[in-house]
Amino acid sequence: MIHVENLVKRYGKLVALDHFNLDVKDGEIFGLLGPNGSGKTTAINCILSLLTYDKGEITLFGKPMSPTNYESKRKIGVVPQNVAVFNELTVYENIDYFCSLYVPDKAKRKPLVEEAIAFAGLSDYRKFLPKKLSGGLLRRLNIACGIAHKPDLIFLDEPTVAVDPQSRNNILEGIKALNASGTTVVYTSHYMEEVEQLCSRIMIMDKGRAIATGTKEELTALIHTGEKLTVEADGLPLSVLEQIRNLPDVLRADYAEGHLKADCKGYGHPVIDVLDLLRQSGVHFGQVYSEPPTLNDVFLEITGKQLRD
Amino acid sequence: MLANIYWKRILVAVRNRGTLIWTWIFPLMMATLFYFAFSGLNEAELLKNIPVGIVTSDEYKNDTAFQTTLTSVSDPEEGFLSLTEYDTEEAAKEALKGGEIEGFIHLENGSPNLSVTKNELNQTILKSFLDQYVQMKHTVVSLIEEGVADVSQILSLFETESWTEALSLSKNPPSETVSYFFALLAMVCLYGGFQGLDSVSYLQANLSSMGIRRTISPVKRFPMVVFDLLAALTVHMACLLFLLAYLVFILDVDFGANLLPVIVTCLFGSFLGLSFGAFVTAVSRAKEGMKVAVIITVSLTCSFGAGMMVSGINYKIAQTIPLLSWLNPAARISDALYCLYYYDGYSQYFLNLGILAVMALVFSIITAFFLRRQRYESI
Ligand SMILES: Nc1ncnc2c1ncn2[C@@H]1O[C@H](COP(=O)(O)OP(=O)(O)OP(=O)(O)O)[C@@H](O)[C@H]1O
Ligand SMILES: [Mg+2]
Repeated sequence: MIHVENLVKRYGKLVALDHFNLDVKDGEIFGLLGPNGSGKTTAINCILSLLTYDKGEITLFGKPMSPTNYESKRKIGVVPQNVAVFNELTVYENIDYFCSLYVPDKAKRKPLVEEAIAFAGLSDYRKFLPKKLSGGLLRRLNIACGIAHKPDLIFLDEPTVAVDPQSRNNILEGIKALNASGTTVVYTSHYMEEVEQLCSRIMIMDKGRAIATGTKEELTALIHTGEKLTVEADGLPLSVLEQIRNLPDVLRADYAEGHLKADCKGYGHPVIDVLDLLRQSGVHFGQVYSEPPTLNDVFLEITGKQLRD
Repeated sequence: MLANIYWKRILVAVRNRGTLIWTWIFPLMMATLFYFAFSGLNEAELLKNIPVGIVTSDEYKNDTAFQTTLTSVSDPEEGFLSLTEYDTEEAAKEALKGGEIEGFIHLENGSPNLSVTKNELNQTILKSFLDQYVQMKHTVVSLIEEGVADVSQILSLFETESWTEALSLSKNPPSETVSYFFALLAMVCLYGGFQGLDSVSYLQANLSSMGIRRTISPVKRFPMVVFDLLAALTVHMACLLFLLAYLVFILDVDFGANLLPVIVTCLFGSFLGLSFGAFVTAVSRAKEGMKVAVIITVSLTCSFGAGMMVSGINYKIAQTIPLLSWLNPAARISDALYCLYYYDGYSQYFLNLGILAVMALVFSIITAFFLRRQRYESI
C-alpha cells in the first residue's frame, strides 16, 4: 500500500530523513515510533507529496505519488499533528467542509458526517465553535475531520497528544474499529504504550532513520535484554553491585533508592543467579519483580538513549 | 463541493471577529466621526467667497458682458467670488504669489485665461466657472444668430442664481467633506487585503494547517483558489455596499447622480485590495501578524495620501510627485469617485479604473505563481 525507498529530505543542512525506507501492507495498523524530531511528520508529509524531497521514491496504492495524483489523494485521510479546523465554523460545519472536499454530494455526505461525529463522541457538541471545546475534544474534532470520508488509508500524526486517558482509549478503540472495517492506518506517536497496544507492526525511528521494524515481539527479540529484574533491597554494598554487574547473564545493573534494577539476557537463569548472590552476600531483599522488555528498551539498547527524555 | 467551498468561506469571513471590526465597524465609526467633525465645514467654505483677481486691461473694459457676469457672481451674499482689480498682469501675479488671491483672470482674444499656482478645489471651481461662461457665451451668440430676440431670456442667463445654479447642476456643489469620504471608501477597498490574506493562508499548506488539509484533498487547485477568492470578494463587496449605504442613506453624503459607477469603482478597488493582501501573504512566510501590519500600514498610508486625514494632500502629492500619486491605489479610487462627482466626462474615471485593474492583475499573477505550487520546501 505504501512503499518508500531511500527517501532523503534535507531542511537546509539538517538531514531530516536519511535514506528512509518504509513498507506498509494493506490492512495493517502501522506504528511510527520515535522521539521528538526523529522525522515522523516529515516522513508523512513527504509521502503525501506536501514536501519536496532530495532523493527517493514513493509509491502509494501501487502508483507513484505526486501532488496531482488525485485518484490516490481521494483514498487518503489525514489527521495532522496540529489541529486543523476553522475557528469560525462549528463542529458539524468543519467536518462537513473537509468531507465535502472528498464527497461532493450533499445527501451522501450527511450520514458520513453524522457517523464521524458519533465516532469522535462529539454528538453533544455539534453546534460548538472550536474555541469552546476542551483540548481533548478539539483533538477528537481534528480526527473526525480527517476520517469522515471513509478513506482506505489514514495517517494519524500523534492524534492523542493532550487527550485524557479515557478519551485516548476511546480514540484507540475507534482506530481499531476503523481498521477492522478494512482501513489501513499509519499511526505516529512517541508514546510507546500506545503503539504497543494498537499497532500490528512498528517502526522505530531516530534521527531520520528507521532503526528497527517489526511486530512488538520481533522488535524485543532483536535486543539482548530478555528480562528486567527489580529487587527491593536495603543497603546494597557497592561491591555486591559490582559482582552482580559481572554476572554472565546480566547486561547492566543499577541501584537507587533501595531498588536494584538489572537488565538480563532472556535465557539462562539470571533471576536465580542474582538472588543467590544477594543471599550469599548477606543482603536482605523484599519483593522481586520481573518484566519483559519494552520498546523503550529496544530504543535504549540500539541508540543508547531513552525514547522520551 | 465548490458551492460548499464558496459558502463556508463566506461563513468564515462573516464570523471572523477581526475582519468584522476592521472592515465593517471601524470604517463606520470613522465615517460617523468625519460626518460630525466636518459637518460645519461645508457651509463655512461655501460662505467664504473665493478671492480672485482680474486684470483690468482694455479688452476687459470693453467686454461689458464679462464685466456684468463677474460683478454678479461677486455679490457678497449670493455670489461665490470676491473680486479684486489689478491694473497690470504683473500686479496680479504679485498678489497671487503673495497668496492674497487664489488665481487671476486675464482676458485675451475674447476668452478668459485663468492663472493659478495651486490645483485645489477653489481652482477647480474657478476653472469650471470660466468654462461655463465660455460655453454660455457661445450659446448666446448662436441664439442671437438664430434670431432669438427675447433679450430677457438671454439676460437671465447671466444672473447670479443661474450661475451658481449652473455650477451646482452640472458640477456638484464644492464640498471639502466628500473627499474625506472618498478616501475612506478607498481605505476600506484596500482593507480587502485582509480577505486576501485569509484566503491565501487557508490555501497554503506552509501557512496554515487548514492549508494542509486542503492541499492533500483531491480537489483541483485552480477551482479551489478561484471559488475561495470569489467568496472573499463577495464578502468584501458586501462590506463596501454596507458602508456606502450608510454614507448615502444615513449620513446623506452625495456621490453624484449615479451610484452604479461608484459601486463599480468599489469593485475594482476591492479586487485590488484583495489581490494585494493575497500577494503579501503568498510571497512571504513571515508571521501572520507581520502581514496584517503590512496591510494596515499600506492601506492607511495610501488613504492618507488620498486625502483621508488632511484634505488637499492628494493634490499636493499629485503636483510634486505625480508618479507616487498615480501609483497610489487609494488616490486612484478616490480620484475616480471625484471624477464622477465633479466632472462630466468619463475618460479620467476609466483611466483610474484601468490603473487599478493593471495593479490588481500584477499582484494576482504573482500570487497565482505562488499558489500553483503544491509542494513545499518546508512546512
Ligand atoms: N520546517 C522546518 N524547517 C527546518 N527544520 C525542520 C522543519 N520541520 C522539521 N524540521 C526538523 O526536521 C527534523 C524532523 O522533524 P519532524 O517534525 O519530522 O519530527 P517528528 O518526529 O514529527 O517530531 P515530533 O514528535 O516533535 O512531532 C527535526 O530535527 C526538526 O527540527
Ligand atoms: Mg511530528
